[in-house]
Amino acid sequence: MTAPPRTGGLLPPMPRTWWLRSAAYRRFAARELTSVFVLAFTVVMLLFLLALSRGPRAYGRFLGWLGSAGAMALFAAILAAGLYHTLTWFRLSAQVQVVRVRGRVVPRGAVAATLTAAWLAVSAGVAYVHVWW
Amino acid sequence: MTVTARGPARAEPGLWALFAAGGTVAAFLMPVHAAILGIAYAAGWLPADALAYDRILDLARAPLVKAYLAVLLVPPLFHWAHRFRFILRHQAGIHRARRAVAVACYGTALIGTGVAIALIVRI
Repeated sequence: MTAPPRTGGLLPPMPRTWWLRSAAYRRFAARELTSVFVLAFTVVMLLFLLALSRGPRAYGRFLGWLGSAGAMALFAAILAAGLYHTLTWFRLSAQVQVVRVRGRVVPRGAVAATLTAAWLAVSAGVAYVHVWW
Repeated sequence: MTVTARGPARAEPGLWALFAAGGTVAAFLMPVHAAILGIAYAAGWLPADALAYDRILDLARAPLVKAYLAVLLVPPLFHWAHRFRFILRHQAGIHRARRAVAVACYGTALIGTGVAIALIVRI
């Protein structure tokens, strides 16, 4: 018999598929998995900078890859995971951080809405500099 | 009663702060970059010279953009590291070798940080 996982000795070990049990657990697991796409995004951005630093030919090859079906599929997954991360992150930020204005607690919905509006403004600014500056 | 954290436990608040900072950076900035590079470019929605080599190189060499790139790339690495460490424990059910898992996750983030800083500085 293999030793049970270390759980402090107070609780019985959980089965590995615990997070498949309910819709809420599955959403939690999906949220956690978005972090893998955060890493994928960072790696692709590092490759973008690497190609840029190596000169026009390497950069051209990177742009060629960006146009491929595989890159588009990868970015579609990164974008979907990113949007899920963004919207849930703002919702949970509003739960974690209580915001007071003149001593009164701002409703959570208003905090999340403000973050969402700020995100849209920042995204527009980044897009402007990246594409049209 | 006072509880004094020792060793890895003492690093936990700092690692958590990096996780939270990285989550916020990724929330604000990841979708727009993914949409521009991964979707709009491939679909041909961008102006012809939007991603031209000279233009993007000039942009990446601007000091303010360099600072932006450091913020865009470094904290999200630690966001991933923190989350992935607990994915392995809670979703994959790997309870052994906790320290090795933590070292591998944060170590990967540190290597990524080194690569990012080197690229940003030298570009």
